[in-house]
Amino acid sequence: MILDPILYLIAYPPLWQVLILGFLGSLAVAMVAIWFERKAAARVQRRIGPYWASPALGGFLNIIADMVRYVLQQLIIPGTVDRLTFYVAPIAAFIVSILPVIFIPLSSRPEFWPVASMDYSLLIALALSTLPPLLIIAAGWSSNNKFAVIGSMRESYVITAYELVAVVSILSASAATLTFNLVHIVDAQQPFKWLIILNPIAFLAAVLAVLMSTSAFPFEIPESEHEVVAGPYTEYSGALYAFNMGGAYVRRFVYALIIALVFLGGWAPYVPGPGPITGYVIPSIIVVLKALIIVLFISFLRAVYGRYRLDQALGAAWRLAIPLAIVGFGWSLLLAYIGVFH
Amino acid sequence: MPPKISLKKLDRRGGLFEGVKSNIHTLALGVKYLVDPQRSTLLYPKEYIEHRPGYRGFIIFIKDKCISCAACARICPSAAMKMVRVTEIDPKHPDKPRQKQYPVINYQRCIFCGFCVDVCPTEALYHVPFHDIVYENLADMFLSLEMFQVEPQRPATSEGLPVVYEVDEIKGLVKRRKS
Amino acid sequence: MTSGGLEAGGQIPGFIVKKIEKEVYEIFIGPQHPGSGHMRIIVRLDGDIIVEADPDIGYVHRTMEKLSEVREWLKPIPLLERMTIIDACNVTLPYVNALEKLMDKKPSTRASYLRVLLCEINRVASHLYGMGIFGVFIGHSTMYMWAFGDREVFLELAEALTGARLTHTYPIPGGVRRDMPQELPGMARRAVRYMRRRLEEYRKIFVDNPVIVKRLSGVGVISKSRAVELGIVGPNLRASGVKYDVRIAEPYEVYGELDFEIPVFEEGDALARTWVRVEEIKQSLNIIEQAVNWLETHKGEPVIAKEDFDKLPKLHKEVYEREGRVKFVPAHATMKIPAGKAVARGEMGRGEIFYYVESDGGITPYRVRVVTPSARNAIVFKHVVPGHTLMDLPAIYGSIDYFPPESDR
Repeated sequence: MILDPILYLIAYPPLWQVLILGFLGSLAVAMVAIWFERKAAARVQRRIGPYWASPALGGFLNIIADMVRYVLQQLIIPGTVDRLTFYVAPIAAFIVSILPVIFIPLSSRPEFWPVASMDYSLLIALALSTLPPLLIIAAGWSSNNKFAVIGSMRESYVITAYELVAVVSILSASAATLTFNLVHIVDAQQPFKWLIILNPIAFLAAVLAVLMSTSAFPFEIPESEHEVVAGPYTEYSGALYAFNMGGAYVRRFVYALIIALVFLGGWAPYVPGPGPITGYVIPSIIVVLKALIIVLFISFLRAVYGRYRLDQALGAAWRLAIPLAIVGFGWSLLLAYIGVFH
Repeated sequence: MPPKISLKKLDRRGGLFEGVKSNIHTLALGVKYLVDPQRSTLLYPKEYIEHRPGYRGFIIFIKDKCISCAACARICPSAAMKMVRVTEIDPKHPDKPRQKQYPVINYQRCIFCGFCVDVCPTEALYHVPFHDIVYENLADMFLSLEMFQVEPQRPATSEGLPVVYEVDEIKGLVKRRKS
Repeated sequence: MTSGGLEAGGQIPGFIVKKIEKEVYEIFIGPQHPGSGHMRIIVRLDGDIIVEADPDIGYVHRTMEKLSEVREWLKPIPLLERMTIIDACNVTLPYVNALEKLMDKKPSTRASYLRVLLCEINRVASHLYGMGIFGVFIGHSTMYMWAFGDREVFLELAEALTGARLTHTYPIPGGVRRDMPQELPGMARRAVRYMRRRLEEYRKIFVDNPVIVKRLSGVGVISKSRAVELGIVGPNLRASGVKYDVRIAEPYEVYGELDFEIPVFEEGDALARTWVRVEEIKQSLNIIEQAVNWLETHKGEPVIAKEDFDKLPKLHKEVYEREGRVKFVPAHATMKIPAGKAVARGEMGRGEIFYYVESDGGITPYRVRVVTPSARNAIVFKHVVPGHTLMDLPAIYGSIDYFPPESDR
């Protein structure tokens, strides 16, 4: 039958996961996060925030209007940029930001996994999630702008500081559950043996790493407006800028998904049943909601914190976060030794 | 009691406990305002501020009171006010047209300092308590003698509701609908 | 200038010739930059460390001194307040004081109290403005919005008193232009109580916020001797431990009779400068309370000098009785001031402002010289910023509360 390969292509699970959950889902989450960030900051700051675009929806349509504007805006390319890198870097960064989603299971039932085997999913997802900053550095470098270069340099400093924290603190889940398989990690936490309760230190370190990696407050250093204008994105406009900006939110969401699975118990305490509704829809909603809580918390921090100085942020990473992550890892080893999960 | 110097010291508390405490204070305050924002934003075209009577807004001219002394034009710091010469008919002597000088104002230049209103010896000028008027082009801002005498219509009054702001002890500025 | 001069290391007037150094990264912060204000700071970086900072001021120079020379005596008042529109009464009061010295006129006590009341309202508003800008410079947008929102409370007070939010044009030689409206004392007391409570919240979210404390302490330290040497003024000077305030060194108006403190800190860093402002807001609130108490209990005196008031025509007195508004007489427009020289100074929100006014007996000033606090604080960029990292630049800029239009005049 000729229909079979077409059907297979359409229903190809990685495609679904990347397109539906990955692209559209993270776009929706990014929109919610941006809207919440503006709205929450407005409330803390005693303003109203987005309003007139749709008073009934709390101005949510404003975000969509912004997106439309970004896409339709004239794309200004300065004459002095390295054109190929300038175009490719933000788009590639956006795509690479979504890629880890392929290795993130949203259900314990194998028929709904995007890839056939989930054995090393945590490792691969983590590895992929550390790629986009390199492309951001490339974007800044290709801009041929002093502020962009300084911003890129800051980004590179920050990467070296947080990468280790992110990897060690999230891998401490593997140390505790003795597996790299995200499904097994989640299943081990059923129903309420969540790692956030059993190992809060690693969770704290992981959240710190996410804050730093997605330049959220109080670590919004590479784009720090009052010294380096927009950091690596200074020369970008229109849709390319939207890719850059959206990429940060998508990365935040992907990290939040990993943390939701690893520390917040994924779909636990729910046990996925057979069929698409109980097997896929309900657990994925639970996971996304948990991830959303983390994303919204990070967004809220913008309203209450200023930004650290670069050296202080790096100091916080090397002196505080890395020891924290290592202690968390050790704590996980202890959990494994006691045999909490087995 | 005369003023005095007071030497103060920075309260530099260190330590993990203090750090955690002040972080919690900060976050708690943020959450407090997240839950109860206490806004005072004016939703402008839907609401507009009804200013107090003393507010220095647009200036209106009462021709009948004017004695053509030109004090307003002379004291104007930004030379926004000028005297124009008009020929008019005196009701007492209808056969003899007379020449008189009246002020006109250029709102491109006016800074709303109110010197003209305060210097007028016959109170022929007064402020209206608003200045959110829109002109379609710059030439319109140079008011003619006739325009100078009519109170302009505030654009916000057509669709908005008047509000007044009051200073409140707890919430700062509080917006109150004026009935 | 010949080219020979250049080769010999000479300079074209107005231009600076500099050798390009290797491994030094020169960035131009401003004038079109989110963190510069109406100025440019030419920063040379070695790695992340600023080796040289060059404040390039003058982008908002409006020739105010020259313009004052071609305007009749009263007209520079609304002009000069545009120098520091957020501190309008403080910036024009010394000019008016100088005129009063030339005219040998003394304002009534009630007028003095009203001036002090407005000056302190302005000072609170100005400090809140400065703290707000400071907040957003170091990434704390909530401080920015809160300070600007609470500044609105004091603008409301100023509006009730003078009829304008910012450009009050309030003091005139011999007095002020309006008497206090009936409802003002109540409003002012509520505003004072509100602001005291809010300062506590500012402390929690901004001044004691661990991120901010970390960011500011030890940054931009100006020692006591260094502060004196650089000649900086105002809260920045008092944050370095110098006990100097014009309100105490040379009391003008009724400052000598009021009970308030001049907060002085000794640390001299950005955090101390922030704290000086917070403490000064507290003291200004005290002064506002005392002023409205006095004004409420001492009614009856006119708000301009007695001899001027008696000379006013009947209509003018009626208007004053009805609206509390002091009307000028047409002679004010072209009044002549006896020949002579006068200096006057005052303490603005940002520091000491100095006026030199010279009259040749004509209808316009012969010379008006203004030395504004920001003009004197601009030197901090040149001498304090080098040695800090690039991220400290906004912290120092915000903490000295530099206001380019005031400096450029």
